[in-house]
Amino acid sequence: MPWRLLRFALSKKHPEPRMFTRHDRLKPAYDVVIIGGGGHGLAAAYYLAREHGITNVCVLEKGYIGGGNTGRNTTIIRSNYLTPEGVQFYDESVRLWQDLAQDFDLNLFYSNRGHYTLAHTDAALRTSRWRAEVNKHFGIDSEVVGPEVVKKAAPMIDLSCGGHAPILGALYHAPGAVARHDAVAWGYGRGADMRGVEIHQRTEVLGIGVVGGKVAGVRTNRGNIATNKVLCAVAGATPRILDMVGIRSPIYIHPLQAMVSEPVKPWLDPILVSGSLHVYISQSARGELVMGASLDPYEVQSTRSTFDFPESLSAHMLDMFPFLSNVKVMRQWAGMADMTPDFAPIMGRTPVEGFYLDGGWGTWGFKATPVCGKTMAYTVANDREHTLITGFGLDRFRNFALTGEKGAASVGH
Amino acid sequence: MKIMTCPVNGPRAISEFAYGGEIRSMPDPATCSDDEWADYVFNRNGSPGVKREWWCHLPSNTWFVAERDTARDVVLRTYLYEGEG
Amino acid sequence: MRLPAQPGEWIDRTTPLGFRFEGRDYTGFAGDTVASALAAAGVSMLGRSFKYHRPRGLLSAANHDVNAMMQWGGMPNLRADATPLAAGMDLEAVNTFGTLERDAGSMLGHLSRFLPVGFYYKAFHGKRLFPLWEKMFRAMTGLGKVDFSAPRQRTPKRYGFCDVLVVGGGTSGLAAALSAAEQGAQVALVDENARLGGSTQGASELVGKVLAHPRIRVFTDTYAAGYYADHWVPLVERERITKMRARAVVVAAGAFEQPAVFRNNDLPGVMLASGAARLIRRHAVQPAGRIVLLAANADAYQALADFIRAGIEVAAVVDLRGTLPSEQRALPAAHDIPLFAGHCILEALPSSDGRRVAGVKIAPLGQTQAIAELACDGVFMSVGWAPAAALLYQAGTKMRYDAGIEQFVPEKLPDGVFACGRVNGVHTFASRLLDGERAGSAAAAHCGLGGAKPIAVPTETDSPTHPWPIVPHPEGKNFIDFDEDLQLSDLENAIQEGFDNIELMKRYSTVGMGPSQGKHSNMNALRVLARATGATPGEVGTTTARPFFHPVPMSHLAGRGFTPERRTPMHALHEAAGAVWMPAGAWQRPEYYAIHGLTREACIEGEALAVRQGVGLIDVGTLGKLEIRGPQAAEFLERVYVSKYAGLKTGMTRYAVMCDEAGVVIDDGVIARLADDHFYFTTTTSGAAAVYRELSRWNTLWKMDCGIVNLTGAMAAMNLAGPKAKQVLTGLTDVDLSLPFLAVREGNVCGVPARLMRAGFVGEWGVEIHVPAEHGARVWQALMQAGQAHGIRPFGVEAQRLLRLEKGHIIIGQDTDGLTTPGEAGLDWAVKMDKPFFVGQRSLAIIASKPRPRQLVGFMLPADHAGPAPQECHLVIDNGDIAGRVTSIAWSPALQRHIGMAYVKPGMDAAGSTFAIRLSDKTLVSAEVAKTPFYDPDNLRQKEEA
Repeated sequence: MPWRLLRFALSKKHPEPRMFTRHDRLKPAYDVVIIGGGGHGLAAAYYLAREHGITNVCVLEKGYIGGGNTGRNTTIIRSNYLTPEGVQFYDESVRLWQDLAQDFDLNLFYSNRGHYTLAHTDAALRTSRWRAEVNKHFGIDSEVVGPEVVKKAAPMIDLSCGGHAPILGALYHAPGAVARHDAVAWGYGRGADMRGVEIHQRTEVLGIGVVGGKVAGVRTNRGNIATNKVLCAVAGATPRILDMVGIRSPIYIHPLQAMVSEPVKPWLDPILVSGSLHVYISQSARGELVMGASLDPYEVQSTRSTFDFPESLSAHMLDMFPFLSNVKVMRQWAGMADMTPDFAPIMGRTPVEGFYLDGGWGTWGFKATPVCGKTMAYTVANDREHTLITGFGLDRFRNFALTGEKGAASVGH
Repeated sequence: MKIMTCPVNGPRAISEFAYGGEIRSMPDPATCSDDEWADYVFNRNGSPGVKREWWCHLPSNTWFVAERDTARDVVLRTYLYEGEG
Repeated sequence: MRLPAQPGEWIDRTTPLGFRFEGRDYTGFAGDTVASALAAAGVSMLGRSFKYHRPRGLLSAANHDVNAMMQWGGMPNLRADATPLAAGMDLEAVNTFGTLERDAGSMLGHLSRFLPVGFYYKAFHGKRLFPLWEKMFRAMTGLGKVDFSAPRQRTPKRYGFCDVLVVGGGTSGLAAALSAAEQGAQVALVDENARLGGSTQGASELVGKVLAHPRIRVFTDTYAAGYYADHWVPLVERERITKMRARAVVVAAGAFEQPAVFRNNDLPGVMLASGAARLIRRHAVQPAGRIVLLAANADAYQALADFIRAGIEVAAVVDLRGTLPSEQRALPAAHDIPLFAGHCILEALPSSDGRRVAGVKIAPLGQTQAIAELACDGVFMSVGWAPAAALLYQAGTKMRYDAGIEQFVPEKLPDGVFACGRVNGVHTFASRLLDGERAGSAAAAHCGLGGAKPIAVPTETDSPTHPWPIVPHPEGKNFIDFDEDLQLSDLENAIQEGFDNIELMKRYSTVGMGPSQGKHSNMNALRVLARATGATPGEVGTTTARPFFHPVPMSHLAGRGFTPERRTPMHALHEAAGAVWMPAGAWQRPEYYAIHGLTREACIEGEALAVRQGVGLIDVGTLGKLEIRGPQAAEFLERVYVSKYAGLKTGMTRYAVMCDEAGVVIDDGVIARLADDHFYFTTTTSGAAAVYRELSRWNTLWKMDCGIVNLTGAMAAMNLAGPKAKQVLTGLTDVDLSLPFLAVREGNVCGVPARLMRAGFVGEWGVEIHVPAEHGARVWQALMQAGQAHGIRPFGVEAQRLLRLEKGHIIIGQDTDGLTTPGEAGLDWAVKMDKPFFVGQRSLAIIASKPRPRQLVGFMLPADHAGPAPQECHLVIDNGDIAGRVTSIAWSPALQRHIGMAYVKPGMDAAGSTFAIRLSDKTLVSAEVAKTPFYDPDNLRQKEEA
């Protein structure tokens, strides 16, 4: 039993202060307004305050903090991307993740479990090698391994996957991890709050004032705010905010669903992903199997569930793990994913001066939370893109200079 | 499963259909600027709302237009494509 | 204790069933649940709690008792309160360390002061120690165990259709089903219990009518797992799922009785009055001998009558309300049962072994000093209800909080969705009948069957739910959430820490996140939050009710698990010839044909050599095969492919590359002109469906005078290639085989109408033969037979890959990726920018004005290369930086060296220059840029008259 839990037993009153200060009203002006109180927005606020000394900041959240995709993803963290831009960016994120719990003094259950992307076809195996080689080039621990290594990591798996999708090998990524997603938002939120940032929940942005091509203010359901800098961090709903400033983007929204089983005694250590079977799975510290699949096939801007999803995902789960027939699925849910044509985010300055964009997060936004916060804080503070994000600018589409992440994105979570 | 009504084959499960994206008009490639063309190729109207979309009933290969509220995922009307507007 | 026969009991006393629990033998009856059989045997402790491993027993006896979960062999997490007893069951409680009796985990209960809400966020995160702590956590969490040897179960699914689906076979659901059916609707009535009638007595007459009604289909022992768009409701039975499509849905799901919150309210013996009544009525089990009834509504007094009838001694009725209607007072008075109005149970007292309630302390509501202590072995609670509104929420119902009955009720129902009974805020028996009739009639009317009857349902005069059934206690252990072991203070502390939004409170404290998904905790948690923040329950609102209503086994969800696979007409012949299969999209294709005693490599090399030196035959029937006809067919093809086809002569073919609108290469194939207005063309195997679909879309948009047909499945196709191919074919066809390279002819092969295309993909004299699918096998066999004399060999995908690589032909998807332009892939020659329009043209014009980022080149390893060769996707390295990647590589038997293709940076593509490829072990291998084709550079062999 850690000593630090002693105080709870010794103290008569619960010895914990509020994590987030309640602010009854908005101030008339802020140096920076961050739209979106998810992991990304709160992280940007945190680093603005901590690393750039900018604390006259408010975070506006329409619902509650961490209630969007931060709390709806399947919490996988990895850096085994395909492009040099992607690999270096996510690698920095993994590095930040590893120290985050200490930074926050909050246990995020950052759990390094190892990540296997299973290859069932020779084409998938080729892509695995491509990713492994690019990863290794940047010093990241990824390797193509044979089926016997998969079997060793998850001895109970049916390597033939029901006989119709034999596992030929896998991309093994040692740093692959999972974390307690909600806590990430809380940690950044508390850290930002402690440094003077105001977090306003249940505050909806209704409009953004642009004067002469520059951001002038933000209109909300709780009043107007003057500001010259706005950071948009609302992945899953980015186009709505972009419409307010008249910026066109390639972002389109598809739902991504997930489901979780009843708790069973932990038996699965690594994180497994199968592009061919559209399955990704890990087992949480609570013993629940956390499972996901591919994007829904058409645009929807709601978090409705479909029954086709647990049906097909369960069938594929049983291909891999036939013995789970009696395990029950407890809950399903959905998030909305900002998709882009090249499966890479859109970050940085925009044609509207003072309007910064952190969007296009598709299905890979959670793992990028720390590095996004850090690089967007830099970008907002200096009005200049951080070097790690120069490849992700909105203008790459105008210039036909897309990033190549799509090449590997059979399942991108 | 959700139902989509094919104008030719009637109401069917949505798994029989493929989504073809919002119907967008192509600028004249001969006269438009590079920026206008890039906007056409890449940019989308990603905000929720009622959209005119391409849908295809796969077993019969029937392309048609669906007017759908993407915020509620409610199909308001479907009909065969007759041209713009 | 088992009671004498009860009217309408569910057990069959003539069929005793023996079973084991925790190593001891017991006997129950058919019709028992595991829990009722154990209760009859006097076993009250059925499990241990999730966190503190406290003894727990029955709570609801209604499939929500997640503290009474059992393991039976490979079946984890069986809910004892809802699992029918079966002979020979050998059960254990889940989540114990040791046994249920001696659970080492119970020491955690003593540590609870150290383990406040969210304690795991507050410690254990030392970087070095976390992995150890985590190991410990993982050893402690979870419930049942997975049995790795359990077989996969395949459960078929059914599709059902009805006019009106009624969810819930209680009073209002029965009335709704009858009223809808009487208006002419085909009705499906579903209830999760083994029998209809719900939890209230008095509906038996209705049950008879419903069961006899020809238009009502009854699903008992079945639950509606969720509501999905367009009235799509999966009904989960024991053996299968029926996916029900309804035209209207009536939700008559009732309400969950809610526990009161007081110290030790989790002791075995403390249970919901409705649960105790169920045990008595259904299973003739007396759950306790002497009880205290905690009441706050009329339902409590109806249950009291049940308890008295069952011979239970009632020590007292404790009613949270200060004043109560006289008819409720009458019953305890008549039986000389003390009634403590305006009082609460301050705490329940455990027996000496801590495993059952042994008494209660009673205090006036709001006071902390007990005025009486009563001995009892049961505490039954009836203090309020929460609507079972999950399906209503999922359907998009707007709910409001009705302060008159202290309950959320539907405010605005979606089209075609109706609610009645307790879930609709209607609790009185007579009113439920009326409300059901009203909803059933309205649902039938929604389906166009009759008119909605105007039925007024009286509003409740007496609230069935107490607004604050929660009693604080300085010592805690007053549980709000039994799944997650959350006490009142846990929620209060979470709120203090800033988690003062219902969703945040849930996520931080995990209230409602356990297997029962908050059925007995969400409402009380919401009340705690409302009180702490000075809001009304309506302002606080509920969390989202996601599917499923009860957890659903994966086997049921998976069903039979279809994996459709496509086979060409020659599949059986390949199989007989030793084909080793590889998937190509949904298709299965021979990778190569295994020969006993030879390695894979040797087989592939042998197949390739046969083509180079003799003759080979490959099944190419998986290629997409499309036909386009009409006056504007040529113009259409010119718009969707990058090359020109208007000038293609009838009887000739031409390579075809397709781009998307961004100018990225997405497909290729060969276009054959059969007549002025008639073309036959191929696509890649994986692209066939998408290309056909996309071309059809363009044609819908452009309205050109031509039509496209997909012949992929209708035609078989094979490529006969090699210097002896012509000899093989001679005599089998009426087509003049002097046809030139790239020509197409229609004629007969083996008496079957065929299209013959002189193709050059593998670089030998070859002809692609397309015949109707039904004749494919016959033609293949005839060719193989005729080829025998010439040493013909069937060849697979791997040999073809090698042969085409020797010719420098690219494979879309292998030598291209999601961003490759024709120029990068060396296909500039095919792109005709001087056409008026083609898809991707404008983008390619823009791209042409920018520097090209990469170039696909051919390369060779030195002839004397020793050691491991590079593999596909090994990187090209230039000055320590990534400069490209290998897309294809193979050992060429014809050239006796490794050849391949790779992307390199511009400036590195000059023939004869060298570049480095890095292997997985970081060794660098030097490669030389080479012109393609590597083999027969002037393409003489494929053009030659053989």
